Amino acid sequence: MTSILTADAVGKAYGTGSNRLPIIKGLTLSVEPGEFVSLVGPSGCGKTTLLMCLAGLLAPSEGEVRFKGQRVTDPPIGLSVVFQDYSRSLLPWKTNLDNILFGMRRVTGMDKAAKRDRAMEILSAVGLTGFDGHYPWQVSGGMQQRVAIARGIAAQSELLLLDEPLAAVDAQTRADMQDLLLDLAARFNQTCLLVTHDVEEAVYMADRVLVLGPRPTHVVREIEVDLPKPRDQLATREHPAFLHARHEVLALIRSMRQRTVAA
Amino acid sequence: MTRDRRIALWGLSVPLGLLVLWQVLALTQSTPLFPGPVKVGVAIWSNAPVILSELGITLLRAAAGFALACVTMIPLGIFLGRVRILGVILSPLMDMLATLPPPAIIPLVMLFAGTGDWAKIVIITYAAAVPLVMNSYEASLSIHPMLSRVARSLNLSRIETMRLIDWPSSLPMIVTGARLAIASSLLVSVTSEMLLSTNGIGTYLQRSQETFRVDAGLAGIAFISLAGLIVNAGMARLERRWLFWHYRDKTGD
Ligand SMILES: Nc1ncnc2c1ncn2[C@@H]1O[C@H](COP(=O)(O)OP(=O)(O)OP(=O)(O)O)[C@@H](O)[C@H]1O
Ligand SMILES: [Mg+2]
Repeated sequence: MTSILTADAVGKAYGTGSNRLPIIKGLTLSVEPGEFVSLVGPSGCGKTTLLMCLAGLLAPSEGEVRFKGQRVTDPPIGLSVVFQDYSRSLLPWKTNLDNILFGMRRVTGMDKAAKRDRAMEILSAVGLTGFDGHYPWQVSGGMQQRVAIARGIAAQSELLLLDEPLAAVDAQTRADMQDLLLDLAARFNQTCLLVTHDVEEAVYMADRVLVLGPRPTHVVREIEVDLPKPRDQLATREHPAFLHARHEVLALIRSMRQRTVAA
Repeated sequence: MTRDRRIALWGLSVPLGLLVLWQVLALTQSTPLFPGPVKVGVAIWSNAPVILSELGITLLRAAAGFALACVTMIPLGIFLGRVRILGVILSPLMDMLATLPPPAIIPLVMLFAGTGDWAKIVIITYAAAVPLVMNSYEASLSIHPMLSRVARSLNLSRIETMRLIDWPSSLPMIVTGARLAIASSLLVSVTSEMLLSTNGIGTYLQRSQETFRVDAGLAGIAFISLAGLIVNAGMARLERRWLFWHYRDKTGD
């Protein structure tokens, strides 16, 4: 009952009639406040579709989604999505700062100046001090990503849905971004649901990993990650609990792949 | 820079050469129907006040028609792009109207609305409307779905989405439509005066022709070209100001 987000027997299909393509079927999950949950699943299994349903951007065909106990029909306040296609999600005619302020349109109880201060604070938290007046297309892809994350947090967010935010960056940047995300989640009290196809990343970041099956997808297994915080790129990745969880997820994915290949 | 300047000088040499050729040819003729550049220059000087005031009337009507078309047709185009069914129903009609030369409706409108200022403005509005509505419709159809998602995720109303997302992201295509619409407005403004009017540069040109004042007519044409150049330069300036993000210099990636 205290879950911040629940999905109950959610199903989603695209198309109608003979073109009907079921993407999600009987998917149930819950996220507790303050948790960091990773979602891993094979490419094209419907992770983005699921996130859109959770965010109220797509109506599920079956089942229901609840955010803080309220049934989700429209995008609720307090829930932000960082889109997979983040660079297109930023408005090119607005500066980075104005993009973040645009994301704060639904924030109440703050005047213009307060919003601006808050936006600047979050911009500096994502390491973009001095880039507030730049346009998104003037900064690197990694920076655009951080603007998108900042916009999400700034929208008075409690729950961040992150769709493969680190898929397109190089290994070193990726490690830095992982730690930055964990840091931001703690600092701004964000509950996070992170979609990723990188198993190590899923385990490194999360308190819990949800493994999705092939289409039509649902949660195949839930794996608790019992690792000390704050996470550390070296120590955490060498921790027995990390290796154990990683092994479990990889073994499960392999067995699913063999089953689909055999079928 | 110097290279550009050299090219510009070469570009200037062509019209200069033509001017000289024209003067030479004019000197060999002795009819008032073929005035040389000097004579036209004098005509420009002496007729400037008349031409400017007539041209002012013409431009004012063109501007009024164009503005009217902008405030009605751009929102309409965006709206039609957003409400798919309406767009699908109306797009054959738009395609049909797009191929109709706007001056063709002048006699019809004058029959019903008379020959006053408003009748002309209506015709100009129509002429400007077609490229404006078509381009804003197309632009709003081609808005990236991601931007619609962003709008949805902020729970923007339809009007807010149109104003804050659709309008700016369609602006590059709308401006292209506006360029066509401006040309069309000027064309129709002048043409409608030629058909039936007591003032405006179109009437002035017509009268010059009827009185065999070719030099005065050419002076009028010179001022029209000048006005066109100024309008174009103004548009280019606005584009740089509003659409810098569209014509971005890709330093980022
Ligand atoms: N609007 C749509 N209409 C029809 N089919 C769609 C639509 N959007 C996605 N699909 C299909 O649904 C399936 C799941 O897509 P989705 O983007 O949710 O997967 P994903 O797990 O996020 O993939 P990726 O790992 O590539 O990000 C894909 O096969 C895709 O082709
Ligand atoms: Mg996806």
